[in-house]
Amino acid sequence: MNKMKRKGILSRIALCAVSLTMVASVSACGKSDADNSNGKIAVITKSDKVSFWSEVQKGSQDACDEYGYEMLYYAASGDNDYASQQEYINDAIKQEVEAIVIAPNDPKELNESFKKAEAAGIKIININSRADYDGVSSLIASSDSDAGKVAARNAYKLLMAANNAENGAGGSSPVSKIAIIGHTAATADERVNSFKDDFAERLGNYIDKQRTAMMQAQAAQAQAAAAEGGDSSESGDASSAGGPPAGVTTGGDASAAGGDSSQASGMKQRAEGETAAMISQFFIEGERCSTIDAAYEEAKLLINENPDIRIMYGTNTNTTLGICKAVEELDLGSNVIVVGFNSDESELKYIRSGILDGTVIQNPYTMGYISIKYAKDVAAGKGVATKLDTGVTWIDASNLNQDLVQALLYPEKIGG
Amino acid sequence: MAKEKKKASKHGNSNAYIFAAILLFVVTVTNMFQTSYLYGNVRKVNDQTGDTMNCINQIRGQLSNINETMLMLIGQIGVPAENAAKMGAYFGQMTEQINRFENFDTISDTTRHRFAYAKTFISGYQDSINLLREKFMETSSLGQEIAEEQAKEHPDYQLIQSNAAKISELNSEMDDMYTQDIYPMQVTASEMLIATIELNSADAAEKGAALVKVFIFVEALMVGVLILGEVAIFIIARYAKKARLELEERERNLQEVGARLKSTRQKASDLAVTNILTGMKNRYALDSDISERLESDRFNIAVFDMDNFRIINDTYGYDFGDEYLVAIAEKLKQEFSESAEIYNISGNEFCFVFNREITESQVMGIIQNIQAIMSSPFTVLNLTVQLTVSGAFYHYLPGDCLNLNSLLVKLDTTMRNAKMNGGNMINTVVNM
Repeated sequence: MNKMKRKGILSRIALCAVSLTMVASVSACGKSDADNSNGKIAVITKSDKVSFWSEVQKGSQDACDEYGYEMLYYAASGDNDYASQQEYINDAIKQEVEAIVIAPNDPKELNESFKKAEAAGIKIININSRADYDGVSSLIASSDSDAGKVAARNAYKLLMAANNAENGAGGSSPVSKIAIIGHTAATADERVNSFKDDFAERLGNYIDKQRTAMMQAQAAQAQAAAAEGGDSSESGDASSAGGPPAGVTTGGDASAAGGDSSQASGMKQRAEGETAAMISQFFIEGERCSTIDAAYEEAKLLINENPDIRIMYGTNTNTTLGICKAVEELDLGSNVIVVGFNSDESELKYIRSGILDGTVIQNPYTMGYISIKYAKDVAAGKGVATKLDTGVTWIDASNLNQDLVQALLYPEKIGG
Repeated sequence: MAKEKKKASKHGNSNAYIFAAILLFVVTVTNMFQTSYLYGNVRKVNDQTGDTMNCINQIRGQLSNINETMLMLIGQIGVPAENAAKMGAYFGQMTEQINRFENFDTISDTTRHRFAYAKTFISGYQDSINLLREKFMETSSLGQEIAEEQAKEHPDYQLIQSNAAKISELNSEMDDMYTQDIYPMQVTASEMLIATIELNSADAAEKGAALVKVFIFVEALMVGVLILGEVAIFIIARYAKKARLELEERERNLQEVGARLKSTRQKASDLAVTNILTGMKNRYALDSDISERLESDRFNIAVFDMDNFRIINDTYGYDFGDEYLVAIAEKLKQEFSESAEIYNISGNEFCFVFNREITESQVMGIIQNIQAIMSSPFTVLNLTVQLTVSGAFYHYLPGDCLNLNSLLVKLDTTMRNAKMNGGNMINTVVNM
């Protein structure tokens, strides 16, 4: 009986010791960070129908996975749907997120919701466009003015290339009409304006150059004609008068021209003024459109009214696709230079088929990724830059398959 | 069975100590190894993290250097050739660090993936910078042409003009490239690199935590084992103590029994050699005392017998006779114990073996005395009685008799002679 009793006590104590061990190890286990242990971050985008925002979602998701946050993703129904976004912000507040990353559909309408979020201690990060609200910690976006400029730069190049192919030389009026169809969001304005300004400047410089060259040629001809009947020394002077660069295009410093400078500069300025006025007539802006179909209809309208359109410019995915659809239908692909925005698969198809001559892509994956990174930094109390420019890239058929471009289009392919 | 139990408890005791020793050894050695393993690994993880962080920070530093040098080139600060050379060097160093990072084998897949993404941008940045550099080189050479041309006596103004135009075109292109393409790429690359560092640190923290987990687990296990061991030892010790106590008690019992047995044996053996009645040594005692001395020893021996003792028994009863004998024995013991060993070899026959130091003449005197005392009146149970006594004396010489029987026979024969001659006399044994 003693032996049995002993055995009983022994086994009971053994059980105690083993369970103590397990408790100790399990409690140590408990400290391991599971997938979502750091909290939640809400990501609210503008639309679920456009691949741009899907890329943003991918970037945000990857960042959340890597940093151990749970992502709550919401997408409004389109560029003007701020009502849904208000709801989503409220939901995020209820879910006690650490931060809200949002592409606001209106600069002012969401301010009430933002105030509520701020009161709950939630940090706010904007992507793609900035809300008119002081409590936004940072804006992660690509520069819209840069985007417009890149589009203009490349559209100009394409125009020159097409002209040279056709005519050999541009002539003083290389382009007739440039149609622009913008989208309805706030980012459209900058993209349209910077495109126009940049393109106008280039075109203006080009026209001025042509004009100056022509004038010089005329002057030379006149001199040569005069020289035949006159002193050779005069021709020497005359040619030196026509010499030093009047064709320098940096603001046209007319004082660099020797000889009859005042007349030349006056003429030049008048010419420049004319040029600007002429160029401004080239631009035709259509109605702002938010859907592919609206853009398509608008494009067809514009083409009907102005059959001599040479360049068409869309400022986002839907407008670009609408323009492409119209151009394809009317079989104007070889005549019209189409430049657009973003890299939806349909747009890539248009690039490959030659309808779309190139687009400006932002970097939505990086935008999504960095916005989460900044959100978590701000939530942790670290300081972040108030603006981060994620940059734009021009893609067309020639660089579509380059490494960097492929990486921008398909981020998941990287790293194997 | 007691013996088995004793063995078991003894083993139990030493088993417990051996067990304790082994346990202590195991626990200590395990702890030593664990601690050094943990320390080594944590240090390794820290070192590796430090290495990778350092690597990435160097890459970022080189990116920044390249950016700065590019700006200097474009802004025409410093010697272009120098700047170009510096940029080349920075690119080289950056590539080196990139390779170094990729060769670390402690990087997790997630971190590697993030770094690969950053690398894509760095490559794009590199390509763009190279393009920019080419354009810059072009402006450089165009500018040089202009300078050469202007130095001539009759400069070709067309050439100068067109070069200048081209230069300004290139300048604005470079400007655009820098702000629109290059700068954002550098920023993105930098952000991705920072992300890589953060991920790597998180990895390291995880690894460290995992190591600590394992450490704690093994420690807890050791604690469990220790507790178990201690408890086991405690229990075994208690068991051993109980067993020992039991054993001690049994031993005490055994000793008691042994002692009792001894005393009983003693009594029994005493009984065997004692005459029950008188308490004197009996014939068996004589046998055992004397047999050894027969061959080589000489001694004086006498036997005395009460004459007609039968009369006392018949007249006063056996009980009285017994008492009478007891009285005589007492008296004899009293008087003669110092001189001889006294044996009561049968009912009323007493044998005296005289001590060595008593001389023969003394012996003669003593035996007279014995006769006198034995035949003196004794008062027993309020009655006084007196009997004569006959005796036989033998001055024994070594080898006279082979055994006690023959010795007693001789003495008896001599005694009978005395009795046949009326008793009350002492005869001496004569050897024929």
